[in-house]
Amino acid sequence: MNKLLPVLLIILAAALIAAATIHSSSLVPATTPEGAVRALLNQVKARDAVGAYQYVATASNTAPDDFKRDVFGQESNLRTYSSLQLFDTKVLREDDQEASVRANLEWASAVGAVRDTRDLKVVREDNSWKVIWPVQSRPKVPPQVIPVNYLRWDIVTRGLDDDWGAQNVDAPRVRIISMNPVEKDGDFILLGEIENEDTVPGFVSVAATLIGKDGQVIAQEESFDKISHVLLPKEISPFRIDFPNVSRDRIKSVHMQPNAMLVPASADPVMGVMHQALNKDARGHSVLKGELMNQSGQTVNIPHVLATFYDSAGKVIWVSDGYVDQSLAPMTPVAFSIGVRDDLASQIHSYRVTVNQYTRDRVQ
Amino acid sequence: MFPLRRSLILGIVCATVLTCAAQVRVPATVQAGSGTTVQASGSGSTMLYLFGPGGALKREVQRGNIEISGQELKVAGRYTVIVDGDSASFFVTAAPLQKIAFVAHPSRVPAAASRAVQGSAFLFDGFQNLVLTPIPVTFRLAVEGDNGEERRTSSRDGVAWVQLNSGRRSGPAHFVVTSGAIQVRRIVQQVAADPCSIRMSALRAPDGNILVETAPVQDCSGNAVPDGTIVTFTSVDAAGRSAVDARIKRGIARAELPASRSATLSVAAGVVLGNEIHWGGGQ
Amino acid sequence: MRKVGTPLMSKPRLTAPSRSIPLFVILLVTLAVHGPLLLMQLPSNSYDANTHMFFAGHYANHWFSPWNEKWFGGMSQTTYPPLVHQWIALFSHVFGLTGGYMFVQLIVILLLPVGMYRYALLWVPEREASYAALGTAFLGSLAMLVYQSGQLPTTAAAALTLNALPFFYSWTRDGSMLSLLKGVVISMAGAAAHHVTFLFGAVLFALPVLWLSLLDREESEQKSSSGAMLVRAVMFGIVVVASVVVVLLPYFVSLRQNPITQLPIPHGSRDNYILSPHSGMNFWIIPMGSLILAIPYILFKGSAERRLRPLLFGWYVTTLLGLGGTTPIGRLLLGRAYEVLTYERFTFWATLMALPFVGLLAARVIDRWARRGAVLLGVAAAFSCAMAVSWVVFNPINTGTLNLKPMIDFLNREEHSKYRYITLGFSNQFAKLSTYAKAGSLDGDYNSARLLPEMTTYGAAQLYNSKYFGTAGMEALRAVLKHADQYGLRYIFVHDRYYEPLLAFAGWRPTEVYDNGATELWTKDDVPPAKHIDFGNAVPPPWQGVMWGLVPIGASLLAILVVLLPDRRRYSETLEFPLPETNELPLREAN
Repeated sequence: MNKLLPVLLIILAAALIAAATIHSSSLVPATTPEGAVRALLNQVKARDAVGAYQYVATASNTAPDDFKRDVFGQESNLRTYSSLQLFDTKVLREDDQEASVRANLEWASAVGAVRDTRDLKVVREDNSWKVIWPVQSRPKVPPQVIPVNYLRWDIVTRGLDDDWGAQNVDAPRVRIISMNPVEKDGDFILLGEIENEDTVPGFVSVAATLIGKDGQVIAQEESFDKISHVLLPKEISPFRIDFPNVSRDRIKSVHMQPNAMLVPASADPVMGVMHQALNKDARGHSVLKGELMNQSGQTVNIPHVLATFYDSAGKVIWVSDGYVDQSLAPMTPVAFSIGVRDDLASQIHSYRVTVNQYTRDRVQ
Repeated sequence: MFPLRRSLILGIVCATVLTCAAQVRVPATVQAGSGTTVQASGSGSTMLYLFGPGGALKREVQRGNIEISGQELKVAGRYTVIVDGDSASFFVTAAPLQKIAFVAHPSRVPAAASRAVQGSAFLFDGFQNLVLTPIPVTFRLAVEGDNGEERRTSSRDGVAWVQLNSGRRSGPAHFVVTSGAIQVRRIVQQVAADPCSIRMSALRAPDGNILVETAPVQDCSGNAVPDGTIVTFTSVDAAGRSAVDARIKRGIARAELPASRSATLSVAAGVVLGNEIHWGGGQ
Repeated sequence: MRKVGTPLMSKPRLTAPSRSIPLFVILLVTLAVHGPLLLMQLPSNSYDANTHMFFAGHYANHWFSPWNEKWFGGMSQTTYPPLVHQWIALFSHVFGLTGGYMFVQLIVILLLPVGMYRYALLWVPEREASYAALGTAFLGSLAMLVYQSGQLPTTAAAALTLNALPFFYSWTRDGSMLSLLKGVVISMAGAAAHHVTFLFGAVLFALPVLWLSLLDREESEQKSSSGAMLVRAVMFGIVVVASVVVVLLPYFVSLRQNPITQLPIPHGSRDNYILSPHSGMNFWIIPMGSLILAIPYILFKGSAERRLRPLLFGWYVTTLLGLGGTTPIGRLLLGRAYEVLTYERFTFWATLMALPFVGLLAARVIDRWARRGAVLLGVAAAFSCAMAVSWVVFNPINTGTLNLKPMIDFLNREEHSKYRYITLGFSNQFAKLSTYAKAGSLDGDYNSARLLPEMTTYGAAQLYNSKYFGTAGMEALRAVLKHADQYGLRYIFVHDRYYEPLLAFAGWRPTEVYDNGATELWTKDDVPPAKHIDFGNAVPPPWQGVMWGLVPIGASLLAILVVLLPDRRRYSETLEFPLPETNELPLREAN
């Protein structure tokens, strides 16, 4: 017993440690298409670019550095602020040499959870399965000087020691030019557009209070990131305010509070939204696709696309948004795609896309 | 219940005090900041009490002519003097107009807007008292080199106000209130109103893209719409819709839209729509 | 006379200590080791020290009002046992908050060797017990808890538990009422210091002691039956639980009204230390220090001696639990509690349980190698402590110290305290900021006190560390920012540019910079002033405030009083023996 007990305790401890530690190595060659995708994504999750690249097929024609930039980001784009949190995979099609695997990805990012679906082609190479991971090569912009002489508005406000009657500068005039309440999946949603009618830039937000049939406040919410907060003169932004789990029949009235402040602002960058078109994605869902073009000389780190959809009467019927995980280099088109409600796709008569942006080294 | 005996004693004491009380005489009105004299009959020292809207004071004085300095009567309103149990009241009125507090609204206004500019003048003397007597006041709103609009009025209860139309020309308008020798100036920025019409033209860029450019964008009074104003150019073709939110620069907005064989080009600023061009199919 | 093990020691030489080290010497050594470190206020940058000072700061100003509006928009301080905080609050009036914290921590560190000495005497002779007590001063695990984790309540509760265990032993073995009284009162104070230590640690420590008292029953003067001893143990447990329920009644009321339903929050001590080597270093290698070398001895000595087997098993289970996710044992034994607890404290307890063995080993080493052995042990002990302190210094939890003064001044001037604020990227400096700022925050540093649904819905801890909790953290932050207007959240101090995109897109603007731009203030100007948030019955009624202000501190004062009561007989006594001619030295067990 005296000698047996310590040996037993050591063996038990070793067994327990082994039970919690030893798993199949994640870097072994993948024997199934789904295994290859999972192995690659597991390495991405662990932020191991070298490990992940081992599961990229040579047929991808993707250099390791390009792969790394695509997966882990560059130029302070959204991907650099993201890490893969969760994923699930599903084999769509498979034969001896080739397969198609759908990966639903959830990224934890600086702007919240970003969900993405990729249909990946998996091929057999050297007796193991590897993933085709094409990376869109960026067109090279020739060296050039882009003169930037856009406006900037600065503000001098009333001093603290000024007389009470002394004049201050007024906040910009903004107006809600359209509004439409809708109900979806048990949520009450306010959609609309707000215009800066003034000749100075405005920092705007829209808040709404729902008043119940008993006169009591049911809920208060605001547009949060479903709006462009900085509006230049005559600029129009869509807004969307979501009230989760509020039924429309409980509501007696809605109190809208558009707020506007005069803030220093810059008129650049100018971004074009090219080749917008309603399409279907790989899963058959309606999406609005297009390309963003930064027409100024400074890289935009994180673009945010807001789309307003109108029916044939010109009424706003939906507002959707999406963050683009690539940065916008000058004069370089970047594709975007944002979801559209399938049930509304047939009612959409026109749409308008606006681009909001975050640039790391420029604070407006 | 108050006992009878105690009431009697109190009555006798009060009667004695009243009999001994000095007669106090004061002027009916005094101008703020100027002193006055209170006459109290009798002789010897006594205590003076003065209550007014600006505070209260207690001072030992000699009966007879009691001087109250202008510093003690700066705030306009009713004052009460008590000397030896006798009291008298007088009214301190505001001194002559010394200062105008001028509140002008708004700080920016679209040109040619009806009754869009408001001004309120609060008339004060040198001691921050509202001058309640009616005083003629003149308001004038004009962009430099323009006749502008002038309105004469009279103050009422220390306040004069006006509502004016903004001028047709954009620029910093001087909004001036004058009363006597006192003048206060505010600046109201008259800015261009919504664009009256937007005309654009299009031509092919060397790289095949479509260059679109507006004519100088003006409001209906002919003022140039401020630089930085957003003008949205849109092109719709078989490949989809393309849009650029361009900024007006030196009165003109321009943008580059993607190349297309046949496209419909349109332009808008805010809710104002401009002309439409059918690219490739003739205008 | 009871003999522990086989004769261990060779004939001692004159130069090596062959007798027990007096307790006051042990205390002086402990003071010499930890006094300067505490004077340097080394724990003030630890994970939790600022949190404890925050709690203490509230008691210093509102002793009888446990409702604190400075965190989470409002939280009850009855969600955390108050004893240590209240002592800091009392001493803060003399030394200031930070000084008060250091002083209380010093007292706790000095209580530990006393407790260890008394606890070790249950297992080993007096000399070895004194070595074990001396060893506590050099424990890497203690240094990590004090200087890295800032877990003052845990160390306090452990010290009190160790001091209570001999009374538990005496009560179960001999039925001494005075021991029952002392044991119960010290346990009450221990639970008032830290509930988790009491719930989990006391069981891990007490069961081996109960087993020991059953083994030792033959030695008892009254020769109690096993059944009677078990009944006494159960009685002790019942009395202690009942007393603790009374002492911490507001805590249990709060727990019942607002059970902790939040999702598990990740913690490095739950990692597999082999797969996460940094966690392994931080939570096991450094805390264990030189004790790792003693593990084979513990296993073989504990197995060889029947009387030491309970301690061996207690140590073994506690060590396995301290390994966190390296073994599945924690998950199996603790169930859902596994995801709530952190495991550095289990390693601390395991090192405490190892010390009686180490005392035996030290005596053996000294007897065999005399001065060289003593030097070797000294080096090993100093290495353990020095490694832990250096690890804390060279592997700091913060990359730099923030200059909080301008931010505190901002929040305290004009009417800024009418609004709420949060910090991002501030790490544990948030608690310090909130201690001195008048304004309230929606964030907080004690997860169990959270009531806002925006925070309890997600498996994330502090908002200031949102990015480290992945999607859950960022979604919790989004949820709070979305309701900024409702909560009067106007100011956000940002010390990590990672959060800038979200703030920019959500409608916040940078308005001021501090520390040459290292920290930025982002504001949302249209936010109305903060209103009182209605948390319903989560606000403790006044009677709970009075009870909270009187009973726990009263329990600790009572513990001091009863400990001063003289025992009917001594726990142990040293008997001088003439040295035998052989190299074998008979040992006398403490009774």
